[in-house]
Amino acid sequence: MNILQQVPRNALVWIIICLFALVAPHASRLPLWILALYLVAVIWRLQVHRGYWSFPTRLAKVAMVLTGFFGIYISYGSFIGLEPTVGLLLIAFALKLMELSHRKDAYVLLFLGYFICITEFLFSQSLLVALYALVSITLVTAALVAIHRPGEQEFKVGTLCVASVMLMQAMPLMIVLFFLFPRFGPLWTVPIKSHTAKTGMSDFMKPGDVASLSQSADVAFRAKFDGDIPVKSALYWRGLVFSRIEQGAWSALGLYDLPANQRRPEEIITDGEPMRYSIIMEPTQQKWLYGLKYARSDTPGVMQTVDFLLSSFVAVEAEYMYTVTSRANVAVDEVLSKWRRKTETQLPPIGNAKTRKLALDLKAKAGSDEAFISLVLDMFGREPYVYTLRPDVLSEQDSIDEFLFQSKRGFCEHYASAFVFMMRAAGLPARVVAGYQGGEINPINKTVIVHQFDAHAWAEVWLASRGWVRVDPTAAVSPQRIEFGLEEAMESEGSFLSTALLSPLRYRSIPLLNTLRLRYDALTYQWQTWIVGFDNERQFDLLRSFFGETTAKAFAIVLLGSLAFVLLAVAISLFVGRETHPQSQLEKQYRLFSMRLARLGIIRDPGETPSLFAQRAAKALPDYAEPLCQITRLYNQLAYGDAQSSAGNAAENLQQFVRMISRFRPKTRHAKL
Amino acid sequence: MWMLLGPECDLVENDALGTKRHSMGIRTRIEARFRGWLNRRIPPAREVILDQRRIFIFPTRVGFFFGACLLLMLLAAINFENNLSYALTFWLATLFIVAILHTYANLSGLTIRALRAEPAFLGQQSEFHLMIKRSKRREHFALHLKWPNSSETLENLIDEDSVIVQLHMSVDSRGWFSPGRLLLESTYPLGLLRCWTSVDLELYALVYPRPIVSAELSGLGANRPDGAAVFIDGNDDFYGFRSYRKGDSLRQVYWKGLAKQQSPMTKQYTAYTNRSVWLDWDMFAGMDTEQRLSHLCYWLLECDRRGEEYGLRLPTAVIEPALGEKHRNRLLKELALFSKERRSR
Repeated sequence: MNILQQVPRNALVWIIICLFALVAPHASRLPLWILALYLVAVIWRLQVHRGYWSFPTRLAKVAMVLTGFFGIYISYGSFIGLEPTVGLLLIAFALKLMELSHRKDAYVLLFLGYFICITEFLFSQSLLVALYALVSITLVTAALVAIHRPGEQEFKVGTLCVASVMLMQAMPLMIVLFFLFPRFGPLWTVPIKSHTAKTGMSDFMKPGDVASLSQSADVAFRAKFDGDIPVKSALYWRGLVFSRIEQGAWSALGLYDLPANQRRPEEIITDGEPMRYSIIMEPTQQKWLYGLKYARSDTPGVMQTVDFLLSSFVAVEAEYMYTVTSRANVAVDEVLSKWRRKTETQLPPIGNAKTRKLALDLKAKAGSDEAFISLVLDMFGREPYVYTLRPDVLSEQDSIDEFLFQSKRGFCEHYASAFVFMMRAAGLPARVVAGYQGGEINPINKTVIVHQFDAHAWAEVWLASRGWVRVDPTAAVSPQRIEFGLEEAMESEGSFLSTALLSPLRYRSIPLLNTLRLRYDALTYQWQTWIVGFDNERQFDLLRSFFGETTAKAFAIVLLGSLAFVLLAVAISLFVGRETHPQSQLEKQYRLFSMRLARLGIIRDPGETPSLFAQRAAKALPDYAEPLCQITRLYNQLAYGDAQSSAGNAAENLQQFVRMISRFRPKTRHAKL
Repeated sequence: MWMLLGPECDLVENDALGTKRHSMGIRTRIEARFRGWLNRRIPPAREVILDQRRIFIFPTRVGFFFGACLLLMLLAAINFENNLSYALTFWLATLFIVAILHTYANLSGLTIRALRAEPAFLGQQSEFHLMIKRSKRREHFALHLKWPNSSETLENLIDEDSVIVQLHMSVDSRGWFSPGRLLLESTYPLGLLRCWTSVDLELYALVYPRPIVSAELSGLGANRPDGAAVFIDGNDDFYGFRSYRKGDSLRQVYWKGLAKQQSPMTKQYTAYTNRSVWLDWDMFAGMDTEQRLSHLCYWLLECDRRGEEYGLRLPTAVIEPALGEKHRNRLLKELALFSKERRSR
């Protein structure tokens, strides 16, 4: 093999470390057999290295590739999509290790490694993922350096140092490029979509759905208000409106379920200052967005839909930022169309007879619509209804009867669902609204962090001359939930995040941990605003704040200026300044020799030649005259001798010198006795 | 200038056989131009310190492949609108730029010094000795050294200040053989860029004619002069003892006697030195120059092996018969440089 194509032993270790570092963040998404393949690949390659096994034959390689494809198809059911593609890439990565023999294989493997880092970002761009990527990129670069260090048998930290220094030097220009590089839209639509289910709301709701969602401590979105943050009990983040009930499950109306003339949201004339805020959503793989009542958004890509909801044109697959204006005190849909009225009062023809009867009785007793609503809420508050994260499992038929009259234990969706059912049974237009309620206010950067456990369902009832009015039956059962949050509401039950033992949210009561958590969250917010959410618009603002106006000239000056600056700085660090001559092995060894003699009181004067020093030392230590003489002779030969005359054995002689020094441990006669 | 013309002339002759003379003319002219330029830029010298005048740098094939990978990554970043992918792509692109300086630094400050070249017979391998000394500023890795057609080596300079390198190369022309320009290259640290230099170290190997065996020469015996046999110190046959004198070879000391507590004695050997041979240019009349030299070379070595005194008679020089390594080398050099340009080395 060409000497330039050899892969040093040490580099193989680096490459295997990289391999594990790169596959680790994907591990939770991968089927087990791919991880097993990694183990097989590493073991195989190490056995090849030790000379026990041989490289896989061509037939074996073809078989493994085919098995890989087959396995991916079995595990994912398709080759299209982000996960199967990444799976294939990772299989290729493992198989490439098995046949790694030449340096050119190592290049392919390591460049593929950089690409695998990118695939990680397609799943998440969180701060932690980015920090981890820093580590894995440094490792890949170190492996790249290691394959260019021939003859290095041991694992040296120097390799890692070279890689980190170079990456650090590359950092400033990367930052400039990151902020200056124009962001244009996708060149073509990417067919790859993630199949991973995300925790979050879905577009239909069965009893128990929200309760199970509330076990998750994941962040749903973060909101930042321009002015003061409203009180928690006013923070009803509307996401979906469920107008249809079928077999005990609520679902939203599709756009084409609506009559053609009602598919556009009604224009509402408003006055007064609205609330302004921006929201950064975590990926949901869904289209709907969240906002407070009567939300409008001027962010491109966000549309207003009927029922005054917000929706994105495409599914939210990455952190997504949009700005919203809301007006809480505006009456909406003061006039209800005939079709609407019919839809919003529709109930299944049979079932829940007891509930229907109760609703009609109460309605007759109350007289007005408002009085009827407060009677129902009173009933929830007065009778022993329990707000719980562990509701009983209800039968499909007559589930509302079962809940209202027997179990009396439920989460928000049970109350909302029962409440709307009763309203409709009494002829009032009513519907279930799903979204989030409340949120945690981070005092550090004044954002509202809304977690999955803030998921909530409530009701909207249409009243003449007032339009749609929000009614939250949960507030009647558990006022703490609305005012403080789920944790306080579940205090007695102890069921808050009972399955998420490791979530830092569970340890909010420890002040230090809580401050750390909030600081980290504030950092995450900055990260999402400035790095992950950095777009055209933000770039434009940034450039304008720096240069007043963005011209091509300013662009070029900044780019070339920073390039020149970085190159100059690196060049200075490499070529200017003190000559940092690492002490040569010879000098190091000779100093050790002098030190051992100095310990016995024989100290070399500055300026004393090694020969004179040796003579003096030999006089003092006659027992060691011979090694002293030999060491000094060899030292002189190595240090001052003409390299030509030492016949190319400098390295061998140096080794011998090292051996001599290590054996030279003089003791005085007294010590000997 | 001899250096410049020599290999080129060969090139024209060799290539003209197979390919069109016209196109080769252009190629050789371009090559000659390049050599001229290179000679002005890096003039031949026994010792060269590498600086920006002498170091060239260009991306390797791997570097271009890396660039293609970056383009792919950028495409992914654009299409997925993924900012961290943008960041990684730009980081690696900048790493490439930073690597230019690091790759350059790996050669910068190195000193290459020509030490010596072993003489060799035509068609054999000669050994060329070089020394590479590091700069005071840094460690150097993966220095790849070779001459065109020579053996190659990879050297690191980490703990040692200098390293002596031996390269082997088969020599194919009699006289002073120049290995050409030495290539010193490195792609350390990332392999994306290649830094190289091409230096003429003015290092020449003396190439003796290729010895060709011929039958026992008829003229060899006839050329024997008067045969007064004189016994002098030599290595051939045991002759007797004499008392040890300071300076006698230890190998010839009679150790057994010494062990028997006798006075130190030295064993004496003799060599027959009376048979002096004249190796004459005219002995191989009818052959061309190289063949004559080859035969002369063989007999020269043969006489040396047999321990017979031999002299050399060439049209250009006459050397009296003698024995010994120095004499042999002197004669071999005469043969090597016969009708070739002589340079004082």
